[in-house]
Amino acid sequence: MKLSFNWLKQYVNLPDSVSALEVAEKLKMATVEVEEIDRQDALLDNVVIGKVLKVEKHPEADKLKLCEVDIKNEKLQIVCGGSNVREGMLVALAKVGAKVKWHGQEDLLELKPTAIRGVESFGMICSASEIGLDTFFPAKEQKEIIDLTGRISEKQVGKPLADALELNDVIFDIDNKSLSHRPDLWGHYGMAREVAVLFGKSLKEYGAVKIKEPKKDFFGLKVEVKDKKLCPRYMAAVLRGVKVEESPNWLKAKLISAGFRPINNIVDITNYVLLDLGQPMHAFDMEQLAGNKEQLAKIIVRRAESGEMIKLLDENVIELVSEDLIIADAEKPLALAGVMGGEHSGITEKTTTIIFESANFNASSIRKSSTRHGLRTDSSARFEKSLDPNWCEIALNKAVELAHKFCATAELADKISDISDFTLAVGPIVMQKNIFEKKLGEKIPEKEITKILTGLGFKVSAQSDKWAVEIPTWRATKDVSGAEDLIEEVARIWGYEQIASAMPEFGITAPEKNKLSALEHDLRDIFAGSFSFDEVYNYSFVSPSQIERLGDKGEYTELDNPLSKEKPYLRRSLLPNMMENAVKNIEFFDTVRIFEIGKVFWPDMAGARVDSNGSELLPRQDTYLSALYCEKKDEAPFSAVRRSVERMGEVLNLDFKINALSHVAPWMHPTRAGEIICDGIFVGVIYEVNPFIAKKFGLDCRVSFLEINLETLVEIGEKAKKATYRKVPDFPSVVRDLAFVVDGDITHAQVEECLKSIDPLVESVELFDVYIGDAVSEGEKSMAYRLTLSRPDKTLSSSEVDAVLIKAGSALKKKFGAEVRR
Amino acid sequence: MNDKILKIKQVALEAIREAKDREALRDVENEYFSRKAGVLTEMMKSIKDLSVEEKKKVGQLANETKQEIEKAIVEKNYELSEEDWANSLAVEKIDLTAPVLPHAERGHLHPVSIVQKELEEFFSSMGFIIADGPELESDYFNFSSLNIPADHPARDSQDTFYIKNHPDWVMRTHTSSLQVRSMQKYGVPLRVIMPGKCYRNEATDARHEHTFYQLEGLVINEAITMAHMKGVLEAVAKHLYGPETQVRLRPKFYPFVEPGVNGEVTCFLCDGAGCKVCKNTGWMEIFGAGMIHQSVLKEGGIDPEKYQGFAFGFGLTRLVMLKYGIEDARILQSGDLRFIKQF
Repeated sequence: MKLSFNWLKQYVNLPDSVSALEVAEKLKMATVEVEEIDRQDALLDNVVIGKVLKVEKHPEADKLKLCEVDIKNEKLQIVCGGSNVREGMLVALAKVGAKVKWHGQEDLLELKPTAIRGVESFGMICSASEIGLDTFFPAKEQKEIIDLTGRISEKQVGKPLADALELNDVIFDIDNKSLSHRPDLWGHYGMAREVAVLFGKSLKEYGAVKIKEPKKDFFGLKVEVKDKKLCPRYMAAVLRGVKVEESPNWLKAKLISAGFRPINNIVDITNYVLLDLGQPMHAFDMEQLAGNKEQLAKIIVRRAESGEMIKLLDENVIELVSEDLIIADAEKPLALAGVMGGEHSGITEKTTTIIFESANFNASSIRKSSTRHGLRTDSSARFEKSLDPNWCEIALNKAVELAHKFCATAELADKISDISDFTLAVGPIVMQKNIFEKKLGEKIPEKEITKILTGLGFKVSAQSDKWAVEIPTWRATKDVSGAEDLIEEVARIWGYEQIASAMPEFGITAPEKNKLSALEHDLRDIFAGSFSFDEVYNYSFVSPSQIERLGDKGEYTELDNPLSKEKPYLRRSLLPNMMENAVKNIEFFDTVRIFEIGKVFWPDMAGARVDSNGSELLPRQDTYLSALYCEKKDEAPFSAVRRSVERMGEVLNLDFKINALSHVAPWMHPTRAGEIICDGIFVGVIYEVNPFIAKKFGLDCRVSFLEINLETLVEIGEKAKKATYRKVPDFPSVVRDLAFVVDGDITHAQVEECLKSIDPLVESVELFDVYIGDAVSEGEKSMAYRLTLSRPDKTLSSSEVDAVLIKAGSALKKKFGAEVRR
Repeated sequence: MNDKILKIKQVALEAIREAKDREALRDVENEYFSRKAGVLTEMMKSIKDLSVEEKKKVGQLANETKQEIEKAIVEKNYELSEEDWANSLAVEKIDLTAPVLPHAERGHLHPVSIVQKELEEFFSSMGFIIADGPELESDYFNFSSLNIPADHPARDSQDTFYIKNHPDWVMRTHTSSLQVRSMQKYGVPLRVIMPGKCYRNEATDARHEHTFYQLEGLVINEAITMAHMKGVLEAVAKHLYGPETQVRLRPKFYPFVEPGVNGEVTCFLCDGAGCKVCKNTGWMEIFGAGMIHQSVLKEGGIDPEKYQGFAFGFGLTRLVMLKYGIEDARILQSGDLRFIKQF
């Protein structure tokens, strides 16, 4: 929203010493976000009124002209490319030294005497955009220069342009989002109230002249409000004898300063009231209403019938739905209430009888209609904030007053229609006086509190240790309803900088530990620290084509309104996006080692509760750790990832077992996929990605992948074995190696189990070599184990050791047909 | 005889002293101690032939001389071997500037993880619990429990991803979705932070991401005031940007707090003088904060007549971008290792 500093000053007497900058700063600290502060004359230094005396062709360029321009004491030679330059024209002349926007560029250019195609030029005849006056002089085509002929008298030639056009305003650009909760600040008057309070000045009365109603109705316009919930108040004034023409300059200048385009006096009046008070209005051409000729015209405020059509002022035709509130005559929709008027009943040059509408509409209904039809207008932006229905009357008074002023022949034809049904919760709010200190931690003098609240329009009455505060109607629609709201009002005006900071005092208690978060950090250290994995963050969204490439038949949660159709699903695994990471990175690196920690979404399993009491549950969203490894030349990348699992087990003191997976998913290598079991519980999977699937993702190398459910791991971690102390053994242990050849299908897990259980003297069993190759027959492998034997009570004798080894040998032979090599 | 012994000793010690290396020393040793023809061996043998009286007189001196020479040889030997070692170690010189090959590269954490962990440690040290929760969240926890009813305009500023066939489910638009969950789970008094991933349905560009990270905090007890809120925000700001950092509060509307503020800190790049990053204001908007709205406390099962508190939040993504001067938010979730390996 654009705010004119001069306009604000119309309602607050600010001393000249208070600059626009100070006002903006105070507003920023206490009220709204002021995004920009623009002086209207920012680009007008050294820009004067010039009169073009002579226009000749440029000798070297067809599109340029050679002009002689009079600036009173001097005649300057100027090269000009303006399409509309002509002799006798009054122009905006930027002299040498002026800073202009060259061809609309952001950076300013300081003009110097220059030669253009060999002809000297001592300044520039300006287009509107070059000196920041686009809103005042909208150009019809790009090369058009500002034509001041007729706008100002020739006597002004040589005068600074800013003075001649009275461009001395400063415009604040307010961030609309910063006042979305304040229905009262969408006009200059409301903002002036804030400024008055902030500078300790009084606010002038709004001062709309009360309408003098005629004794009798001429047209007898009937207003019917069918839905008073959606339209708590509807006022209409009928004026005849209206002459539609241009508005007076002062009004046009005001509208332009606030970023509005002047249209005609009637429309401009409604826009002026909107900008001044914040109340949107509309004007209908009464002659376009059905029944007008028979003096039977009606205004009906009703819900649209589904399928009704209306052509709006912006010339778009929309189809209405039954939730839309419309203004209609007896036959057809005239306007989408509070959003935009219809073209049919719009004000034209031929209009002579008008209806001023000043109404109040339900905020959420307006919001829904404007969203539904994609129409965010200045009117809907205000109505959806919940406006004060009392404004309808003030606004209508103002509009009629201005209509009379601009058009002597305009007269009220009917009595004012006013149909209303509203109540406002104006309080009073009764509160303890000390609540301010209790909430803010800072004592504000009572006098200040009353002064601030009164200045903002609240009525404060004191009752010993309490205050009763009545809410002004313009803040009572939803903005202010309780004591907390009043605390904010006082605190922001008093100044947050006046609150001295302090640290809260708490009893000393150790915070409850978040074990999942601690585990995540541990795992990051393990993967990045010990295994050179790099951590990636990916979006949670996956695409149908990713799912199809995986061959995943799982149930996916789908977004209702995805940003792109491309990735509408929530990931069930970190795999698909990490595969894409691998594809991207293998271009630059021979090895890709990445891991990610993040949530996956399983709609087929139950998760957290939807609300405080109900039984509905959200989809399960477990946090996973996944690691991916691939190297261009590594044909068996499984071990690199398995090693990280082993290390994880050591660091976390957990015993991970990996067994062949019984149900291998389609994206896994059918014989290189394992389940990870910890403490008898399934915690994740480790596998090589099926090379065919990897190819579908665009990866030519082998990829190994790990997925661990951290929520499960945290639960198991609770029970993790702690390091235990045992007395250092008094007697030495004996180490013996066993090597043997077995069938290739025999697994380490089988052998290990067998060896561990042969004798109580066996302390540990460790695989230290596996060989497959020419030295053994095909389909067989050689395995070598190191057995550690010990006794707590004495040194082992060689016969004891030999007996164990013989047992081991026969057990291996019996179970696996293995021949131990001596 | 005595003179002869003294003479031998003098010459022997001289020879030992003069020995250039261990070989020369071994020659000296042989010359004197060789069993066959060693000077000292011969001398000792000759003593045997002396009279008992003579033996007594000369024997002691001879023995002492022998020991003295032996000791001198041992010492010289030690001296020479030390020199030898020094010489041989000199040859073992290596290029200390060369890295160990092949290069063992370390892994890299994502910058958001780095900053998040650092903040979690900071808040933990002040007694805050670290909480987490669902990213696919109910409308109730994300909006309505936070005083944002269905048609509230505040929903406009948070373009929301909705879930198909579940109109009441959303991808959480802020970590504030955990406010009521945390109150319900932990009760009062409460100090908690809630870091996490958030989603908004807006087109991505250099400054906007549909997926980003926030950190939210709550402090609730019987007499928690806005002054405390200011104190904690200052502590965080100083922790992030140094002890000179200042905080200023400006009004800002959030439906779930009242009063609601924007916390700005003095720009750490220009120390408040004004620069491009802080748009020449000297201040950078970092926090959203405010006193928790009574209705939110009620939803959390906390008696608003007895307890009060504040909430605060900030964008981890934004903090990371400011900290490292990252100009394009999209790189953070690109999975590009050329980026990740820088941290």
